[in-house]
Amino acid sequence: MNRSATALLVALAIAGCSKPAPDPVEQIVVRKPGDPAVTVPTPAARDATAVGKQAFAASCAACHAVTASAPAGVGPTLYGVVGRKAGTLPGFAYSAAMKGSGLTWSGEKIDTFLANPQDLIPGTAMSAGAVTDPATRQAIAAYLTSLRNGG
Amino acid sequence: MNKWTRRGFIGTGVLAGGALVVGVAVRPGNQVGKLRGDVATGEGDQLVNAWVKIGRDNTVTAIVPHCEMGQGVHTSLAQMLADELDADWSKVTAMQAPADGFYVVPDAVREFIATWSLDAPRWIEPTYNGLFTKVSQLGDALVTGGSSSVRATGQHTMRIAGAAARQMLIAAAARKWGVPADEIVTENSMLTHKASGKAGTYGDFAEAASHETMPQLPPLKDVSQFKLMEQGIQRLDIPAKVNGTAKFGIDAAISGQQLKYAAVKAPPVPGAKVETIKADTAKTMPGVLQILNMGDFVAVVADGYWQAQQALNTIEAHYSTTANDGLDDAGLRARYAKALDAAGDKGGKVLAAKGDAAGAFNGAAKKVTAEYQAPFLAHTAMEPMNCTAWVHDGRCEIWTSTQVPLMARSAVAKALGIGAGDVTVNQLYLGGAFGRRLESDYAVQAARIAKATGYPVKLVWSREEDVRQDFYRPADTSRFAAGFDAGGKLVSWNNVFTQLHDPAGAWDASQYDIPNLSIRHAEADMHLRFGSWRSVDHSQQAFFIESFVDELAHAAGQDPFEFRRGLLGKAPRHKVVLEKVAQMAGWGTPPPAGTTRGIALVKAFGTIVGEVVELSMSGGRPRVTKVWCSADAGYVMNPDGFTAQMEGGIVFGLTAALYGGITLKDGAVVQGNFNDYPMVRMNEAPEIAVEFINADTKVLGGAGEPGLPPIAPAVCNAIFAATGQRIRNLPIMGHFA
Ligand code: HEC
Repeated sequence: MNRSATALLVALAIAGCSKPAPDPVEQIVVRKPGDPAVTVPTPAARDATAVGKQAFAASCAACHAVTASAPAGVGPTLYGVVGRKAGTLPGFAYSAAMKGSGLTWSGEKIDTFLANPQDLIPGTAMSAGAVTDPATRQAIAAYLTSLRNGG
Repeated sequence: MNKWTRRGFIGTGVLAGGALVVGVAVRPGNQVGKLRGDVATGEGDQLVNAWVKIGRDNTVTAIVPHCEMGQGVHTSLAQMLADELDADWSKVTAMQAPADGFYVVPDAVREFIATWSLDAPRWIEPTYNGLFTKVSQLGDALVTGGSSSVRATGQHTMRIAGAAARQMLIAAAARKWGVPADEIVTENSMLTHKASGKAGTYGDFAEAASHETMPQLPPLKDVSQFKLMEQGIQRLDIPAKVNGTAKFGIDAAISGQQLKYAAVKAPPVPGAKVETIKADTAKTMPGVLQILNMGDFVAVVADGYWQAQQALNTIEAHYSTTANDGLDDAGLRARYAKALDAAGDKGGKVLAAKGDAAGAFNGAAKKVTAEYQAPFLAHTAMEPMNCTAWVHDGRCEIWTSTQVPLMARSAVAKALGIGAGDVTVNQLYLGGAFGRRLESDYAVQAARIAKATGYPVKLVWSREEDVRQDFYRPADTSRFAAGFDAGGKLVSWNNVFTQLHDPAGAWDASQYDIPNLSIRHAEADMHLRFGSWRSVDHSQQAFFIESFVDELAHAAGQDPFEFRRGLLGKAPRHKVVLEKVAQMAGWGTPPPAGTTRGIALVKAFGTIVGEVVELSMSGGRPRVTKVWCSADAGYVMNPDGFTAQMEGGIVFGLTAALYGGITLKDGAVVQGNFNDYPMVRMNEAPEIAVEFINADTKVLGGAGEPGLPPIAPAVCNAIFAATGQRIRNLPIMGHFA
């Protein structure tokens, strides 16, 4: 490694006199560390249903199936949930709170429910699945609505 | 006098305590306080000299000035020191010398001195303004490379440190007990005086010993006295690497800081600048904090690495044009051919000349000519390039895996326009390096990004960036012309090639006794950055030379082993190594059915290595089933470690020989990941047998690189034996696609 070492040495000697590397040519600060994430404006190309499907897979699919015939998991199947009375799918052991809520699921109700399930239905057995980001909640609601429409 | 004498080394080893660490002696009363805290920690700890620390609790710490990159150097160097010290191995640990300029690697500097023909007395010049100080500071000589750790630092520094420390302990005990020093026996970190029945541990005398004079010429052990040296001692770093506690560069964390991550992309064609970027999508992507056009690369900083990389992938950058934008492999080879044509049979820079090679060739009864080509190679170390940097209050701290911590420090300081003393380098384990981490480009990038953000950032390169922005083993073309006289004697060797880097003499063929020899360099430009790639020039020269020698053997109608042996009359150590490997492989007996053998012999980094390959052509594709390797490295200090280095060199070289090929299109590197730049897998790894010859206990050879060069020609020679097909350009699998 003789020569490369020598070359390096010489390079260093020369480099010693040169200027420091330039600062950024362009610096785009999107946000500061710790600041909340920027709301992702849904690009026109990505429709809400597709985004919702993805988010559902990530946050809900562990407990909920989305086909009519699927057996119940930890939670009931959500096929056709929009328009359904809460806590009424035959064969699923709902909590008293859910059964007695008197709600009928709409896109908006699902949105509200997911913001904080315990707020809308205190005592519900759905212990996880709250979604903080409103855009994602709406997308999930749109996806669940699409299921009923034959999606 | 420009020959390095042993006396010179010892003087240096001792002065290492006083002068080599830039005027700071490292014993109490000699400015110990100037050393970084973690070396001089603990009350009662005494820095007996630069490379060893003995604690009151009787532990011995070898302070190793080389990085651990899987080669086991912390162990072998600690082993050499501990043996001279007569230390109890169970109480020995190794620590990485801090990169603060108080530790340099004397021998790396010696290499500069030798090159510059400076003499020893000036070399040990102890004054602050002395030449050495200047050289060592300039050169930032804390380097791990050149297969030099054991043969240079181990042999000439660690052993001396151990021996000197032992003498100082004895002197201290003799003083306290009032007995003659030569009646004190040392063993297992204990001092004993039989006649008086007195005994004590090294720890008991560590502090007193530090007040003793450091002996100028501590006697070193003779081979017959070795206890730890020459033992296959297990590596000190293995437990941590098995249980997962070992921290590599990429594991860096800063306590109390939430790290942000950066991903980068440099222009595909070297030398181009980033003119403009379009980052509309990246701006909206999750986790993204900043998008930077740094002029010579684009960076995205995000909460997580994956987020940064995904956002970076969506950025459209516009690059400036360069003279090489249209270059592809054919263009590069044409450039090389032009230089070689111009050099002809006499031109170019003459590296070695004996007799009249061109004339002897012209008058030869039988002529053989050939052109060989080797491709560019990338390093693809398993741990991706990475560096964590934090710039605040006019200072910069980095955490990284590097072979050159002090050069990294200088490079970062220069890039940020601050003093080297304002940069702290924290060195972690290296997840492989192979020469890639002799460059500090990634550390500089991280520091510049961290300066722009103001908060700490961990930069991690994608594999694609690693493959496309490497410092490459150069592509090269080499031409040979050789001639036999009417009696069948090889009388001429004429060789010219285009790429000359390191180490000196990698092109040498003079171990073979040929009366007329000419070796020349016809310089031709390449636009990719040159990098030291495990064994450097030997990696291509060995393929060229040892393949062509094989061609000559066949042209002469001789067995390739016998042909070589016949030419080694003036190179007895080469001959012994060649005969040894032939005997190991059973050369001369018929190979197992369906297999053939190939042989090659190369001296690199002071070590002569012979390899024989056994190969089968299953399904029309070559498959290396066995490799025998014999090596003469002078003296092997840790047989286990040495064998592992030979095996590693062979497998690394086999990967390159079979698959390694970086190609160019539109001036840019085509390959990007292991799908198109594959490695040898477990199922293709041959059985390897290594044996070594201890022929010289004083002058040692290296281990990290010498195992590699012979493998490519040995495989190609075995392919010729099987198929009659001579592989003159690599990778091999390119011929069997
Ligand atoms: C840890 C499992 C779990 C996860 C994750 C989960 N759920 Fe639930 N969900 C349940 C359970 C259990 C119930 C029944 C609650 C009850 O009976 O109180 C339920 C009930 C519901 C209901 C009412 C169904 C009905 O038939 O009345 C809706 C709507 C719903 N979940 C939507 C979601 C969505 C959308 C997500 C993802 C954002 C989600 N859940 C995630 C377990 C889960």
